Amino acid sequence: MERIKSNAFVKKIGFNRLVLFLVLLLMYTIFAILEPTFLSYNRILSALNYAYFLGFLSLGVTFVIATGGIDFSIGPVMFCAALISGQMLTKMNVPMVICLISAVLVGSAFGVINGYLVAFWKMPSFITSMASMMLARGIGSVFTKTQSISWPQSSQENGWFRIFVKYTIPGTTMALPTGLVFLLIIAIICAIILNKTRIGRYILCLGSNKEAVRLSGVNVKKWEMLAYIICGTLAGIAAIVFVGAYSTVQPGLGDTYNNDAIAGCVMGGTSMSGGVASIGGTFIGVMIISLLQEGILAMGFQKDWQYVITGLVVLFAVYADVRSRARKN
Amino acid sequence: MGEVILTMKGIDKTFPGVHALDHVDFELKKGEVHALMGENGAGKSTLMKVLTGIYKKDSGSIIYEGKEVEFGNPREAQSAGIVIVHQELNMMNHLTVAQNIFIGREIMSGKLINDAQMNRKAKELFDLLNIEIDPTEKMGNLTVGKQQMCEIAKAISHEAKVIVFDEPTAALTESEIEELFKIIRDLRAKDMGIIYISHRMDEIKLITDRVTVMRDGAYVTTLISESCTKDDIVHAMVGRVIYEEPKVKSNVPKDAPVVLKVEHLKAGRLVNDVSFELKKGEILGFAGLMGAGRTETARAIFGADTKESGDIYVNGELVEIKSPQDAVKSGIGYLSEDRKRYGLAVQKTVAENSTLAALERYMKGLFIDKRKENEVTQQYIDSLKTKTPSTDQLVVNLSGGNQQKVVVSKWLVRNCDILIFDEPTRGIDVGAKSEIYHLMNELAKEGKSIIMISSEMPEILRMSDRIVIMCEGKKTGEMLIEEASQESIMHAATLRD
Repeated sequence: MERIKSNAFVKKIGFNRLVLFLVLLLMYTIFAILEPTFLSYNRILSALNYAYFLGFLSLGVTFVIATGGIDFSIGPVMFCAALISGQMLTKMNVPMVICLISAVLVGSAFGVINGYLVAFWKMPSFITSMASMMLARGIGSVFTKTQSISWPQSSQENGWFRIFVKYTIPGTTMALPTGLVFLLIIAIICAIILNKTRIGRYILCLGSNKEAVRLSGVNVKKWEMLAYIICGTLAGIAAIVFVGAYSTVQPGLGDTYNNDAIAGCVMGGTSMSGGVASIGGTFIGVMIISLLQEGILAMGFQKDWQYVITGLVVLFAVYADVRSRARKN
Repeated sequence: MGEVILTMKGIDKTFPGVHALDHVDFELKKGEVHALMGENGAGKSTLMKVLTGIYKKDSGSIIYEGKEVEFGNPREAQSAGIVIVHQELNMMNHLTVAQNIFIGREIMSGKLINDAQMNRKAKELFDLLNIEIDPTEKMGNLTVGKQQMCEIAKAISHEAKVIVFDEPTAALTESEIEELFKIIRDLRAKDMGIIYISHRMDEIKLITDRVTVMRDGAYVTTLISESCTKDDIVHAMVGRVIYEEPKVKSNVPKDAPVVLKVEHLKAGRLVNDVSFELKKGEILGFAGLMGAGRTETARAIFGADTKESGDIYVNGELVEIKSPQDAVKSGIGYLSEDRKRYGLAVQKTVAENSTLAALERYMKGLFIDKRKENEVTQQYIDSLKTKTPSTDQLVVNLSGGNQQKVVVSKWLVRNCDILIFDEPTRGIDVGAKSEIYHLMNELAKEGKSIIMISSEMPEILRMSDRIVIMCEGKKTGEMLIEEASQESIMHAATLRD
């Protein structure tokens, strides 16, 4: 065991992430044995649909959790962004490009608000994000007058935006998972930001000991706020891939995705007390949750079993984190 | 004074690396106020902790009311009648006075708490002490003085026979002190034994009957308060033989330029009109007893806490320091006494901590230049002789001395010219200590200017070129090392006006 852990390749990737990846493969194998349709391409595409939007949410919240904070508003913010931009598109005839940009900006705006309140006014992120969760839900509903909104299909006018999710080769039924490529690119950018830039360095350090970073002459407020802005912006992007995959958004929903996103992040080894975060881990965590969701549906279990299992997995992940901290001290 | 109620004989206690109590004797009579004096770290608190069962003694005996006792915890001591009124009050501000007094032993009627009964009982206690406090008031609404009275009432309610006051007047106003002394005299008249820990010389004469002086964990002498002088006490407190050679002469030329000038600095109760100058290449010692306001002064200069007024000049220019960011820009670095809380992100690596204050200099465009970062980190690992397997080691895995070196390297990487070392050798073993001393001397030789806050007299005398002494938020003395002695420093450190 120690020999495996000290192997250069394993060290580079991270032992825990490797284990997590094996868990993902194992789960897929079990599902494939129990339910052979899992070997089909369409089934995989369907599982991925869930992973796209959840991936963006989870990547974003990783930055916030790295600072030692939390953001419970991302799910509703994603819905709010999708509703506002959808309303602009379908009812106000705003050009598609501008609608997509607005979706992202709505997300960023919530990030700015959350970040400002937490970093500058020192409000607890738990409460702040709960409040903005309600704001997001309410604003989305008010803006659309509680109407659900359907985005155009790929065959319709303006349907081109679905290229962010999948691309059907003309003349065939063959669909390429462009969403996965999109998500991977953003994930790699996130990993670079977190590990190679000052943004990530300061976010991780202030998650570890904010006062020490402040006393080192670093503008901690600015960097802490930035984590929330990144989170909100990614929730805005999540809105685009959500409607790209599922077409319809209903007002008043979105809360449950918070839990899945935070679960994916924690499962991936990001510590709830801040200072330690892994984008790769978050990515695999999201894949596990999406697979679980699809698998449970496919096997005809009641959907809510997914929550039971995700809950247990999160408890285990947090327990492992607390334990490893206790051992270090 | 009556018969002896408490005798501690030959109390010995060793912590890893420190002989905290070296066969200490102490005796307390009924109806006596007995002062316990000594510098920081003399062992007063440790002795009281042994008495009340917080620490277990290694050897020696405690005889209380004629019987040998050994308390396992403060609760046992309390029920036997020995209580401490702590310097830092352990009160819950959101509960009422009565609820605080009876915490942990609430008066019940059935399964419910009987607040009315507790209020009545509390009132009776206050009447006994002749003090006016409403038992139903929230604790947080009382002044510090009144809160302390509640602590005393709580002690009485345990049917105390011995009460230990740990620096009770540190946070009180003059009139509150008067009131406290009245209560203490009342308690004495009721034949209680009172142990009184204080740094204030004038109070010793005013309120105590005898004084026992401790130094470096050992018993020195017991004096009769009435007949002894302040000089006698100071002499007993500091009359140690210093093994390490004190600095004899300042290394700083008289005409060295002033790099930092602080004028009329005010920030809260503990920084009251402080002015001083720091010269290039100088080690300026800040001496004083606990709570003198030295750390608070440093934090106000550094912008960690907001200052109310005062001017700070760096290299002759007035600078506006509103946050640590501003201070760092002016070339000031602050090494906190509490490294883990204020100095380091311990879950991060040596390299990440070393460049924390100067990361913008180790960038290649948008990205951190890891190679350059590791280079500069390694450079300071070598020059400070930090013991770490690599630049990627997590700081949490290093020893105290090496963690301190990482904090130092953080400021050296930033190239700060003015360094404030707050208790630089606290919690560091002897070997690492002399390395830190050596390092500070080297830095001063290179032309860095150092403010060194220290509560250890030998450290002050060994390192400083000049010494500023503070007492209760005010500067009460300043002397060149040539003029300084333990006695003269201790005099200034206990100077109240």
